[in-house]
Amino acid sequence: MASLPLPPEPIAAAPGRVASRRPQFTADELHQLRWLLGNVLTLLAVGTVFYMDVDAWTLMALTSSAAIAALVRPTLPARVPRFVHTFAFPAIVTFFAADVWLRSELLPAMVRLDMLLLLYRTISYRQRRDDLQIIILGLFLIVIAGVLTVSLTFAAQILFYTGCALGFLLIITLTDPAPANAAPPGSPVVAGAVPPAWAVHTNWPHLFRRLREVANWRVLGFGVVLFAGVVGVSALLFLAIPRFQFESSMLLDRFISKKAKSGFNDTIRFGDVTDIQQDNSVALSVDVSDQSQIPGTPYWRMLVLDSYEQGTFRLSSRLRLERFDQERTASFLVGRAIPRPGPTVFWTFFLESGVSRYLPLLGHFEKIRFREPQNFRGAATLALVALRGDPVTMTAYQVEDFDLSGSVRDETFSERWRNRAQFRPSDLSLELRLTDDDKSALERHLNEITGGERLPAMQTAQRISAWLRGNHEYSLTPRIPSGERDPLLRWLGARGPGHCELFAGSFVLLARTAGFPARVVTGFKGGSWNAYSNNFTIRNSDAHAWGEIFDPETGTWLRADALGAAAGTQAEEARGQAAISARMDRSWTARLDSLRVFWYRRIVSFDQRSQVETLRAVKDATQNSGKRMREALERALAGLKGWAMAPWNARRFIKVLGAMLGIVLFGWLWFEFGRAWWRTVWQAGGGRGGDPVRREASQWLRQIAAAEVRRGALDAGRANGPAGPGRPDVFAAVVRELQRLRFGARETWPSPHAVFRRARQALRAYSSGSYRISQP
Amino acid sequence: MSDFVPMAQITEAKQALDRLRANMRVTIRGKDDIIEQVMVCLVAGGHLLIEDLPGVGKTTLAYSLARSMDCAFSRIQFTSDLLPSDVTGVAIYDETVKEFVFKKGPVFANVVLADEINRATPKTQSALLEVMDRARVTIDGEPHAVGSPFMVFATQNPVDYEGTFPLPESQMDRFLMRLRMGYPEASDELIILRTARGGYDAIALNPVVTRTEILGLQSLAQQVFVEDTVLDFILKIVSATRTESEFRAGVSVRAGVALRAATQARALVHHRDFVLPEDVTELVAPVFAHRLGLARQTSDALEERRAVSAALKRIVASIPTPQ
Repeated sequence: MASLPLPPEPIAAAPGRVASRRPQFTADELHQLRWLLGNVLTLLAVGTVFYMDVDAWTLMALTSSAAIAALVRPTLPARVPRFVHTFAFPAIVTFFAADVWLRSELLPAMVRLDMLLLLYRTISYRQRRDDLQIIILGLFLIVIAGVLTVSLTFAAQILFYTGCALGFLLIITLTDPAPANAAPPGSPVVAGAVPPAWAVHTNWPHLFRRLREVANWRVLGFGVVLFAGVVGVSALLFLAIPRFQFESSMLLDRFISKKAKSGFNDTIRFGDVTDIQQDNSVALSVDVSDQSQIPGTPYWRMLVLDSYEQGTFRLSSRLRLERFDQERTASFLVGRAIPRPGPTVFWTFFLESGVSRYLPLLGHFEKIRFREPQNFRGAATLALVALRGDPVTMTAYQVEDFDLSGSVRDETFSERWRNRAQFRPSDLSLELRLTDDDKSALERHLNEITGGERLPAMQTAQRISAWLRGNHEYSLTPRIPSGERDPLLRWLGARGPGHCELFAGSFVLLARTAGFPARVVTGFKGGSWNAYSNNFTIRNSDAHAWGEIFDPETGTWLRADALGAAAGTQAEEARGQAAISARMDRSWTARLDSLRVFWYRRIVSFDQRSQVETLRAVKDATQNSGKRMREALERALAGLKGWAMAPWNARRFIKVLGAMLGIVLFGWLWFEFGRAWWRTVWQAGGGRGGDPVRREASQWLRQIAAAEVRRGALDAGRANGPAGPGRPDVFAAVVRELQRLRFGARETWPSPHAVFRRARQALRAYSSGSYRISQP
Repeated sequence: MSDFVPMAQITEAKQALDRLRANMRVTIRGKDDIIEQVMVCLVAGGHLLIEDLPGVGKTTLAYSLARSMDCAFSRIQFTSDLLPSDVTGVAIYDETVKEFVFKKGPVFANVVLADEINRATPKTQSALLEVMDRARVTIDGEPHAVGSPFMVFATQNPVDYEGTFPLPESQMDRFLMRLRMGYPEASDELIILRTARGGYDAIALNPVVTRTEILGLQSLAQQVFVEDTVLDFILKIVSATRTESEFRAGVSVRAGVALRAATQARALVHHRDFVLPEDVTELVAPVFAHRLGLARQTSDALEERRAVSAALKRIVASIPTPQ
């Protein structure tokens, strides 16, 4: 027995065992990760309050700060007094009941209840069902916000949320069979003043380092690719299926009455438009089917204000009654534009929620089509359309053929003007509700402008505009002298700077004094051209007010912007590409906005055309890229063939031979010396694990281990017993050498090059099945 | 460590260790893994604590190791009335030379078997402390070196706690490894049953390794190369025990050094002049387990042993092995 041979050393098996051991999270770390993800989900969900118009700001601030605090100090929930847990449930129920009873709005109350529950979950240690509850609560908030806003943010948010929630569920499943060691299963986790061990030992930087170690990047990458693939396929399907009505199918928006954020209303006080200008968010995106039609400076009219009183312009009730049609529910409205020759130009508007219920338009139009039936009142002669209420979601409408002359034809008013003797000045947009002092002051100003001359409307407008520009500077912070008189006249009398409303208002008063009907128009001016999505982007900061003066000779209202181009010159402005290039926006904001427009274009469809176009574009892009690659390859081959076919002479031959020799020489030099040199360079650096020889040896060891595992599985089927007579020993020697290269002292290394070659040979022989190869 | 070992020395070491192993296998049947651990401990120059129920061969193991080497062997049976001087020796007045003469105790040997060490009082146990750490005994301020090589081979029964004094942690830390014998396989036990044997003295083994060879092996083991990533691996395991919430405290610096020494010894036992990560993973439990205590209370000692081993296994599994 003493002479028993030693058991063969399990060298070849050793790397297999080493390779198969993957680092794993400890139970504590899993619990920490679970806590982290739960709070991140809470934060994500609570963040949706930014998009919803629900009064839950205090709760949001409370919940998010609690979530962050509980992340930074996971021991905090243990300090929550016991009575909080005792009274939490009754308190929440009472709060919800009182909320519903007092405010009588169900959905906002539910949102607040949801946030309260989330808050409670963040300040107590969670068990599995509590974690699941967080997912459901968060999903509720995200879905509500998504349905209410129908925006790109929703898509991004739900994608991100889904990813996090999937990871969270995985960790919940993993931690379930391994209860945190400080909390025996079944004991109330929330009650104790003793935080669980994982909370005490939380060290986030350490956890992230561990996460990096533990993560199986290959699997993770595969998962991400899979996820992206599923999302991509869904997106394709989404593009391909017929559109369904987002909002009509869900009635959630009816539950929340949303107020206009900034809002153009029928009444504009001085400073209102300027307030809107402070807001740089997107108000409107416009797609144009024929870019050559784009005017140099588009004026997006929304509302005319014809009555002035005490510093306030408003839409007179008379105008509203006379000119606006009865409210009706329809999906289109025919306008008054005179049909233009040539193909129809489509202008597709995406009006953001909360901007106004008055739709921005460029003037008379042939037809407006809505995506779905809307309740609206049209004023065709004014070229205005008003929806019933401020839209809560993005409103899309498509306009066919605008009249881009810059003036608004108004037969009704022309008719009235011809019979003006029968009407009061208030019916003729001529009224000046001012004191006599003010009126005479206006007369004085007018005299200064026209020299007492009676001029045609256009010249009058131009002169008044020029005079206003000459006397006042444009500024968002106006200087109006204090006093008792009408504020506009005070401003007119002084020479202080003013904003667009003051200019427009003064213009209207002066024009009326001159005997021309005039009114203020509010809306947007200009906008930028998004270079990425090729559309107009109009921001709230583009809000503007200007004047319109009635020209009795043509029967039209001429635009008169004291701060812009002279009246009646729009027709001469550069159009199309020149106009676009002047407004080109290539900023990062534009890039983000383009995503928004892309999303709108996709979910909003007026017909199947755009859908078909998109699908065709996708198909073409795929086909074209394949075709281009083939062509490039063919060209390259043809070039090579031509080069080879060209007549050969000695010089050319020598050149080619020289080049080939050079390449071979370089390769040889590299294999002989270069790699050794490279290794020495690395060794000089002495980076841990950075040594290329050690790294390569490690790779070979892992490959051999993997091959053995594969083969072992095969062999297990054929012969039982790990030490069967046919057990291959091909690797023993080479593994020993590789191990020496990987872990041994550098002075004892055999030639790495030779060892790696033998490893390659052994592997090849092994996988081809010839077990017994000759050992070098 | 940086000086690499000539291959000839490794081969010599291999032959010596093979002889030792073969010799021990004659008496210790079916326990190749235990024999290997004992050899690792010997080559690393550490002390060994063997824990198990009575009668599974703890003492036989110590005997067979001692008899296989050309070394002085002594055995101390620890009892509750054993005095420190019974272990280390005592200075007595010699009338003939008119001065105190030091009478060496049983520790003055190369392999000392401290049988049932936890039966002795703490005072007597601690008498072993210095000698285990420094390999010398100081009596009346005078140091006396014990044998070289010097290895303490302590045994204890973990279950039967009646009338015992558990070893203090400081003393636990001085043992390189703790092993469990376990019951032999049925076939091996049959052979044991067949073999009629009188007692330990009947263990007839010839010394196959000399004292010098053992010393050579020990110094050779210290030169075994440990690559940086492997050292880093050890370090990660050590620091993981310190952050693990299940343990009362992590392992000491001495423990980390001990693990390194043990892996070097294991590499040598496996005829290598460099350490593999596998050496580390194999030795973490025997080297660390007895140095760690659970933070929570356990019902009995075996339960604690199991929980500590499981936690260690989990820690090692959670740290990426260098590849």
